[in-house]
Amino acid sequence: MQAKDGEWYILEDNLRIPSGASYPLIARELTRIAAPQAFRENDIVDNRNYAKLLKETMENANCGGIRAILTPGRYNAAYFEHSYLAEHTGSVLVQNDELFVEDNILYHRTYSGGKTRIGVLYRRIADEYLDPLNFLPESLIGIPNLMEVYRSGNVGIINAPGNGVADDKGIYYFVPKMIKYYLDEEPILHNAPTYLPFYEDDMKYVLDNLEKLVIKDVAEAGGYGVVFGNDLTKEKLEEFRRTIIAEPRRFIAQEVIDFLDLPIFDNGETVMRKADLRAFVLTGEITKVWASGLTRFSRNPDSFVVNSSQGGGFKDTWVLSR
Amino acid sequence: MGTISLEHSDRLYWLGRYTERVFTTLKTLQKLYDRTIDNRSGYAEYLGYFGLSDSYGSSRDFFRSFLYDSTNPNSVAYSLERAYDNGIVLREEISTETLSFLQLAKDTLAKSEMSENTRLSLLPLVDQLYAFWGCIADNVYDEEKKNIIYCGKTVERLDLYMRTGYPYKSVKKEFGRLCKRLKNVPENTPFCCNSQYFGEIEDIVGSAEKYSSESSTALVDLEHLFEPMGAAV
Repeated sequence: MQAKDGEWYILEDNLRIPSGASYPLIARELTRIAAPQAFRENDIVDNRNYAKLLKETMENANCGGIRAILTPGRYNAAYFEHSYLAEHTGSVLVQNDELFVEDNILYHRTYSGGKTRIGVLYRRIADEYLDPLNFLPESLIGIPNLMEVYRSGNVGIINAPGNGVADDKGIYYFVPKMIKYYLDEEPILHNAPTYLPFYEDDMKYVLDNLEKLVIKDVAEAGGYGVVFGNDLTKEKLEEFRRTIIAEPRRFIAQEVIDFLDLPIFDNGETVMRKADLRAFVLTGEITKVWASGLTRFSRNPDSFVVNSSQGGGFKDTWVLSR
Repeated sequence: MGTISLEHSDRLYWLGRYTERVFTTLKTLQKLYDRTIDNRSGYAEYLGYFGLSDSYGSSRDFFRSFLYDSTNPNSVAYSLERAYDNGIVLREEISTETLSFLQLAKDTLAKSEMSENTRLSLLPLVDQLYAFWGCIADNVYDEEKKNIIYCGKTVERLDLYMRTGYPYKSVKKEFGRLCKRLKNVPENTPFCCNSQYFGEIEDIVGSAEKYSSESSTALVDLEHLFEPMGAAV
């Protein structure tokens, strides 16, 4: 996100199944029709290559077979995206009951009683539900033995199972250090100043400054488990301090960055709202950053929470080539 | 990527059936609407086709129910919802553009309910359905998938034509179309027709005289057309 002083900050990483690439694509299609002049007069980089980038990424992980996108079904909040990306990447959109494992190969069951091998699976369900024989046995949306096929190198899974470890907000704290250690480079973009109460110095700072920090539960996502210290009463702050002391690894604390406000058209009028940017990075043979992204904004004038699961809206993101 | 699951084949078939049901029901209701200008109870015969009694106080109530009442399984609204239900899980097969015409049709129907001139307000709906079929023809490259949709469409049209007393000539023409579709169905798929039932329909529809006395048998046979051989009742 961009702060009011113009500085950009990384707020979190999402390496599991981030959604939202399809919304700027749809928005771009519509706005090019509704406002061609805006595109004629500005050098806006065309973002409609996302499906091509995704297809290349899928092909890079393909172990021999068709491309498939695994969805939990039409009642999932991101189902539109699953079907839209399947349409535009020319992949088959599948649910678990259409798939089966035989001789350590993943197949799509066809209506003639035949089978078609799947070489790469872009799964849009969480790790723990992927394979009931390896993870949650009660999962009804997974594929039994999928992980065996994956371990044998007979199917590519995107994003790779286990990637979610990087989404842990406790790991986020270490990412700048990882960049320095593994690449011997300084990060180009900075994290928001972050404290991990697990460390003594950080614990002291957090307890002393709780009322001006934002506290995040490391295991939560989607805007849940986020508490702003200045929203808490004295009693609640005290209670929270005790919880942090008892479970120091469970939380991170960050300085509150004053997001840049962006103009939003809401109920016929232009208003200013907090917004952030979800950038999409696709790693295949090489790593590519999509020249667009999902700009998410808060609908509530007093809120920093932009997640769509909590009522946030979205805009297309224009990257200018000039 | 030509692989079709059982679930999707079923969806493709019913997409064709429900969209056609919307179209033919709409056309029939438009004609009935015209008839009720001169004869207010002109809709009663239509109810009879479905074995329904006239529980509607007026032609206005009848049309409201058969057009807009989504709890009436014979209504346009009900069939359009079912068509959309099938279409929305087939986006990658039929394309977003094709699906958008079903969405437009839903919007037009909803708007029409508020209109003072029902027939006039429904005219765009017919155009949108034609556009939907144009998109199917243009956007679905996989002929096998397209044929499943068309099988559904043709079976539905034939069913409604037979059920609602369309002229023999129209029924025969539609049956001829169905025969062409069925020839393109691959073996060992759920849309391979049951030759026993197919043979009976062919026999009845082959003769105007026979059709006039045995159309109800042909209608029952049509319901069983895709039953596996040996499952005949």
